[in-house]
Amino acid sequence: MRQRHVFSWAAWFLVTVNAAALLAGFVAPYNYETQDRLRPYAPPTRLHLVDCEGKFHFWPFVYMTRPGGESLTEYQEDCGQRFPVRFFLSGDGYTVLGLFSGHRHLFGVDLPARMYLLGGDGLGRDQFSRMLYGAQVSLFAGALAALLAMMGGLLVGSIAGVYGGAIDDLCMRVTEVIIAVPPFYVLLAVRAFLPLQVSAPVMFLEIVAVLGFVAWGRPARLVRGVVLGARERSFVLAAQGFGASRAYLLRRHLMPLAMNAALTQMAVSIPQIILGEVVISFLGLGMSEPVPSWGNMLAQAQQYHVLTAHWWMLLPALALVPVTLAYQALADVLGSRLQSRI
Amino acid sequence: MTPNPTQSTPRQLLRVRDLCVDYRFASVKVAALQNVDLELGEGESLGVLGESGSGKSSLAHALLRLLPSDASVSGLVQFRETDLLNARAKTLREIRGAGIALISQEPALALNPVLPIGRQIGDVLRAHESVNRRQERDRVAGALREVGLTEPERIMRAYPHQLSGGQRQRAAIAQALVCRPALLIADEPLSSLDTATQAEVLELLRTLKAELNLAMIFISHNAGAFSSLCERALVMRNGRAVACASLEELAETADPYIRGLLFPEAAFLDGCKTPASQPQAGRPLLEVRSVSKRFMQRRALSRSKFAVQALEHIDLSVDEGATLAVIGRSGSGKSTLARCIAGFESPDSGEIVLAGRKHESSPQVQMIFQDVGTALNPRFTAAEVISEPLDIARKNDPLERRKRALDLMEEVGLDPDWQARPSHQFSGGQRQRLALARALAAGPKLLVLDEPFSGLDLALQAQMLRLLLEVQARHRLTCIWIGHDLSFLSYFARDVVVMDQGRVVEHTAPQGLRSSTVPATRLLVEASDRLHAPGVEAVS
Amino acid sequence: MIRYFGRRLFHAVLVLFGVSLLMFLVQQAAPGDFLSEMRLNPQISPQALHTLRAQYGLDQPLPLRYAHWLSFVARGEFGYSFAYDMPASKLLWPRARNTLLLTVPALLISWLIAVPLGVLAAAQRGTWLGRLFSGGTSFLLAVPDVLLALLALMIALRTGLFPVGGMRSADPSHGRLADLAWHMVLPVGTLVLGSLPVILRHVRAAVSETLSSCYVRAAEGHGLRQLPLLFRHALPAAANPLISLFGISIAFLLSVSLLVETVMSWPGMGPLLLESILARDLFVVLGATMLSTLFPLAGNLIADVLLYGFDPRIRMEP
Repeated sequence: MRQRHVFSWAAWFLVTVNAAALLAGFVAPYNYETQDRLRPYAPPTRLHLVDCEGKFHFWPFVYMTRPGGESLTEYQEDCGQRFPVRFFLSGDGYTVLGLFSGHRHLFGVDLPARMYLLGGDGLGRDQFSRMLYGAQVSLFAGALAALLAMMGGLLVGSIAGVYGGAIDDLCMRVTEVIIAVPPFYVLLAVRAFLPLQVSAPVMFLEIVAVLGFVAWGRPARLVRGVVLGARERSFVLAAQGFGASRAYLLRRHLMPLAMNAALTQMAVSIPQIILGEVVISFLGLGMSEPVPSWGNMLAQAQQYHVLTAHWWMLLPALALVPVTLAYQALADVLGSRLQSRI
Repeated sequence: MTPNPTQSTPRQLLRVRDLCVDYRFASVKVAALQNVDLELGEGESLGVLGESGSGKSSLAHALLRLLPSDASVSGLVQFRETDLLNARAKTLREIRGAGIALISQEPALALNPVLPIGRQIGDVLRAHESVNRRQERDRVAGALREVGLTEPERIMRAYPHQLSGGQRQRAAIAQALVCRPALLIADEPLSSLDTATQAEVLELLRTLKAELNLAMIFISHNAGAFSSLCERALVMRNGRAVACASLEELAETADPYIRGLLFPEAAFLDGCKTPASQPQAGRPLLEVRSVSKRFMQRRALSRSKFAVQALEHIDLSVDEGATLAVIGRSGSGKSTLARCIAGFESPDSGEIVLAGRKHESSPQVQMIFQDVGTALNPRFTAAEVISEPLDIARKNDPLERRKRALDLMEEVGLDPDWQARPSHQFSGGQRQRLALARALAAGPKLLVLDEPFSGLDLALQAQMLRLLLEVQARHRLTCIWIGHDLSFLSYFARDVVVMDQGRVVEHTAPQGLRSSTVPATRLLVEASDRLHAPGVEAVS
Repeated sequence: MIRYFGRRLFHAVLVLFGVSLLMFLVQQAAPGDFLSEMRLNPQISPQALHTLRAQYGLDQPLPLRYAHWLSFVARGEFGYSFAYDMPASKLLWPRARNTLLLTVPALLISWLIAVPLGVLAAAQRGTWLGRLFSGGTSFLLAVPDVLLALLALMIALRTGLFPVGGMRSADPSHGRLADLAWHMVLPVGTLVLGSLPVILRHVRAAVSETLSSCYVRAAEGHGLRQLPLLFRHALPAAANPLISLFGISIAFLLSVSLLVETVMSWPGMGPLLLESILARDLFVVLGATMLSTLFPLAGNLIADVLLYGFDPRIRMEP
């Protein structure tokens, strides 16, 4: 019962996050490119209910901030005018899925004030908006690549398991080669041989291809193991005794088992693959500015002054924690369900 | 150490009152033991008898408080003067092994695969007594000699996988007895051994009991196993003790459950309308001509191979409608023969001829597998399981196939209402029925049964056998029965072939087994005799 | 026994060979190399480029180029670095040594912590302590390595207790070794923190599987004490899956090390690989990948030796 609870929490969390990423244009108050050069490294904007004079208001509002104090990056609130938080207000134009375009945003404040929920970066771009857009790259590339890897793994693993012999040997040797290289090394090495300066959509596909190529080894091994194990079972032998073809065995007996194992493995590997994208982009070999990904957003945090003074620049990495935990929970539940079935 | 027994109540060793064990699965509470009482004096022994699932093993583990953490125990277990259920962990640890010792079902699994035998026994000794290295060696060697292992030095250095099944069980017994416990609990100690080894181990337990004045609780589903060992027996059913008396008294009760446990063959006969109907001699349906098979085996964890001769020039034939029993110790090649006949292995030389034609693999020969656990795909429903051969052959339309499946369910004694239940929800006996129905759906002429009832208890075996005979008569099936147990043999088999080390060493009628002079046959017969209660054989 | 290790060694060489082949095939897809970028440089004449190409066999078809490169490797070299204008092996080996300087201590420390802790955690399974423990490892497992590396850098910057990066100070005040160790603390610590939860989880899983096995339950029934039961009986039986993890853990550590080295500017293989990828310095990329595979393979061989000592079932092989 407790497990079911965890499962539904994790599933809902992931659905919400991914939906928000998909609808980033609408959910985010600003475009990922919108800059405010006068306000670099703005800290997270505070939402107020009580104004400077101590008067209480029923609707949350923000004050405009402006640089002040000794250094360039210290900000003071300007108590002169309140900017209430508004819903469905008009702002930067965007398209969702390349299909719908619009300019209404879920929430925001009127210009010239800005609402940086999670702070702003060096060019005064809203960190929250960029994280949503970045999730489109990081989360979706991870999930797509994991799907690619699972399908590759299913294909190679079941061929190796069903045919056995020399085909099995060949498949497994190739898999071993892929697995033998430390993950980040093979990721970078394979990445190295693909073009670096390309447009964002091509880059996205490149990243998915590289990640998927590097990750199919483990599911292939796993699926092969499951198929080999299942072939030893009496019910598969019995079906052979009824004159079943290889295709029938695969379809009715072996694939359903392998599929379950592969799905579980996929849930395990998605966060690892997401991390792979983050690392590639972090090291400057992935998605490049101005298109955000959690990786290239983090790259800014490598600068010492950013790391010491602007903690919110680490948020893209922190965001990986709940996402990973949710996928882990999903994998745990799938895994234990798999075990109880067999 | 435990107190001197003479100071406590004379002779009283173990007292159990109102022992209850519950398991909690999620929110459901399942009672494994309910209000069990028993008493045992020094040197006395008690058999515990019951069908599988009757709570026998829970009793064994509850006495030592070795139950899994989701179990709760209540009642009283008093060993000498210690209340075991409320004892502190330290006291309990001191009693385990030194006061009460347990030998469990699988000797192969009860010994640690990566530690030498000597060290495993030595660790038990050191847990209870302070001994130096030399004393430890001597004591361990002595314990091994005591259980009839003649080369203790070699055994001490050996790892479990280097020993035979019988040697492993002996080593496990030595481990249990090295600290001289007063009570030995043997939880189905014979079930995983072949018949001949079972008899040897039983003999050993009898000698040790006499020599060491051991009290013993011997758990089994087969009264024959302990009839020579125990004065009294406790009969268990659904977690309750239903009777506790001497074997002679029990033999006279009219309770069908107890009678079924004590005299499974008699129970089988009671329900069989035409006992031992021997079919008329017909044309030979299957002929096996000089079949040989060698195996290139891979050892676990390795890629290297070595050859094992499994079958050497086997010749045999089975007449249409008759049943041939192939018996032998494990490793005699009988299962390989079964797989060759069923077409899962192809022989290296020789040929197998079915109804005049060379046979490879066809639905005409169907096999019932030894392992009920993996015989059915756990995701399939009962109806899907049975109609699978029809689905593969694409016989008729789906509706008709479904109807045929339901008919077959009824025929093998399963309620057709269960058609949509997934197969993993069926019990062992029911699964074997499903497997039988599935084999029948393929429309076979020859049925190969590879130790089909080995996982079932005797009463259930009798039921299944009855069903099998009915089905055989109705479908005019020819059967090949593979096994190592001689019980029931004369009721269904017309011929018996005895195999040993890949060869046929004897070919006879079941009645002829008793008078055989072939050593391998004698071994099987003697073992079988020792395992079954005297008087059972008289029925035949 | 010699056959056993001979087979393992052969297997390792085969994998290395496969990695090189794979890398060569993939680089076929590369849109240009170091020399083609040079073409944009007006100071270098096309003729000079042409002779350079011929000199390194880059104008030949792929199989010949591969054979050419293999002959390099057979001589213990990895080709030529165009960007640094020196043999790639001279560049790679010192960097590899620096990387090992981080990964080997991290490897030892994480295993030394993980084994006892994992065994004890397995024994606590089902209790609140066990649940707390597994929650803790799950959480640590979810913390991305990038974050760990950045946090380590942040600690160095904020506290000033540790050097912010690099391998040695310009003017070491405590002698060279102490200085090196002082520089190693943070990167090694990050690596340990990154790999510990992974290893810990495996140890706990493997040991708790043996704890529920018949033979450990039987040993418990014979009244063995808790510690010998755990460490003398359960742990050796769990050794097989754990020892296989040894090689994988090296690969994992090298992987994390790449990140840590880059963030903390440790002159290891990671930053070198990154530079050479950006400069399209083909042979260095190949060499770094090969070296990074070599170490886990060597780890696997060590693991095989250990397994041979631990598991009698392996020794039975002919």
